[in-house]
Amino acid sequence: METIIQGVFNGALMGCTYALIALGLSLIFGVMNVVNFAHGDFVMLSMYFTFWAGSIWGVDAALTPLITFPLLFSFGIIVYYGLINRTLREHYTIQIAVTVGLMTFLRAITQLVWHAQPRALPYSFIQGNIHLGGYVIALSRLTSATISLIIIAGISFFLSKTWPGRTIRATSDDLDAASLMGVDFQKTYALAFGLGSSLTAIAGSLLMTFQQVDPTMGLRFGLLSWCILALAGLGSIPGLLISGLIVGVGESLAMTFWDPRARSLVIYLIFILVLWLRPRGIFGRK
Amino acid sequence: MKHKKDRIIEKFLLLLLLIFALIIPLIIGSNQYNVLLVTTVLLYGVMATSWNIIGGLAGQLDLASFAYLGLGAFTSGTLFIRYNFSPWIGMVIGGLVAVGFALLIGIPLFRFRIREVWYALTTCALVEILKVVFTMWEEVGGPVERYLPYYRGSLYHMRFGSYIPYYYLILGLLLIVLLVNYRITKTKLGYYLKALGEDEIAAEALGVNTRVCKLRALVYYSFLIGVAGGIYANMYGYVHPSFFNGQESIKVAILGIVGGRGIAYGPLLAALLLVGIQEFLRASIGGEVSGLYLVIYSVILILVVLFRPKGIATIFQGIYQKLIRREVKKEDV
Repeated sequence: METIIQGVFNGALMGCTYALIALGLSLIFGVMNVVNFAHGDFVMLSMYFTFWAGSIWGVDAALTPLITFPLLFSFGIIVYYGLINRTLREHYTIQIAVTVGLMTFLRAITQLVWHAQPRALPYSFIQGNIHLGGYVIALSRLTSATISLIIIAGISFFLSKTWPGRTIRATSDDLDAASLMGVDFQKTYALAFGLGSSLTAIAGSLLMTFQQVDPTMGLRFGLLSWCILALAGLGSIPGLLISGLIVGVGESLAMTFWDPRARSLVIYLIFILVLWLRPRGIFGRK
Repeated sequence: MKHKKDRIIEKFLLLLLLIFALIIPLIIGSNQYNVLLVTTVLLYGVMATSWNIIGGLAGQLDLASFAYLGLGAFTSGTLFIRYNFSPWIGMVIGGLVAVGFALLIGIPLFRFRIREVWYALTTCALVEILKVVFTMWEEVGGPVERYLPYYRGSLYHMRFGSYIPYYYLILGLLLIVLLVNYRITKTKLGYYLKALGEDEIAAEALGVNTRVCKLRALVYYSFLIGVAGGIYANMYGYVHPSFFNGQESIKVAILGIVGGRGIAYGPLLAALLLVGIQEFLRASIGGEVSGLYLVIYSVILILVVLFRPKGIATIFQGIYQKLIRREVKKEDV
């Protein structure tokens, strides 16, 4: 029983960060209907930037979002204008092909610069455990989950209360109507893509406080966030958070009770079952 | 209408290509590594051309090609290791197992109308699922490579001690796959698939049973790749769960897209060019700077997609048509 609760705790904390990654994907896919296969590799890239910032300049991993956020935001904008914008009117397979090309490129670059072995940072200053009535909670995970929640709440506020956020939602609802109301869809798309990418920067930096990184982990994060998105459906941020928690807890329980290798198995099985039974997601809007 | 002379030129060109393909091992045969590289390129050709049936014609972005390859390899390999089954029979059984699995997944997928991105992601997840399952399934897979029994030059066991026979095997399979592709485009099924590849809902409204059509395309595709899996296992001499490679499955689909969707020889062309370049770069600079060959390869890929979204095949079609026209003009004068 205690192991179950401990597993649920750990999984839920991870789930918050997963939800943050999926939120970035949801912004990109929900607004411009572009399938970004490189999303998981954005996470991987920002983990490597965090590693760099940490190992060269000695910046603590918990503070690196301040560097990686603007970095990935501008990277997202460059990618949007350089690649995505040119393929918007093509068949969706062409968009996938171009993002797969980007994915291969990012993976190759990281392999070239940082080599293939896993990298990790020395302990962050938010290290240590909290003991809570027999359960152990890693402080780094708790901090990441908290920051993730704050960011998700912030994005939610941004989308509903500010003018740029509203243009994003309007474009996602009806592109033509939004354009007629004076929304510059190019800028909105670029903003959504940049924002979606920069959310992975925060997630990547947070993950780096307790995880290691290697060039091949992008695909796992990519599929993971698609799974959360499938579970949540489009357009619901609380739904996204709950789905993130479900996936995180499922993964953690599979690791403790079944087999550490089965962690991705559970996620993908949830993914396929949800697609079969609830194609619009559990909390979907459309 | 096609000019009669065009057909003769076409046949002549094909014959020339075939002869060239047949004598390649004689030229580079002294270096086994080069033969393996060329065979790998052809294998991608086989997979991308098979993919064309489901992806190019039927428009379903299937990313599970290595799942079927792995199933074929494991079936044929395990039958060989355990029961001394001849891989010649094993690879057909492997193809059938791949078909069985494809139907198991395909029937509910098409029943629940899973399309486009979601179909792509499901099939992508499938490869990873199989990889984990085979890693955990100790009787057949497990984390350690399982080597096939070694025989030097045994036809019954499909073990030759040289890569050249495998080259010809894959080449033969490639010809069969191309033939199947051409045959399908000439049949009713081919027209149905093309229609639903263009617009699924419209095809359905016109009375095409899209579910059955897609399933039939899936059966052809998975069987051909499953058979290739049998050869793959014997060529490398072992089976391992890493055969279920999600990354490479995506690559096969990309070759199909970049080649030109629905053009039977497009994916083959893309495989020859892109995988050829990649393997060449890997062999020449991969040892010194790891990752550089992938950087170059991915940049080429992105450029091709951006500037030739209709496919590599269209470049050659353009050149070919210009050649033909010049011929015709000369004739007129």
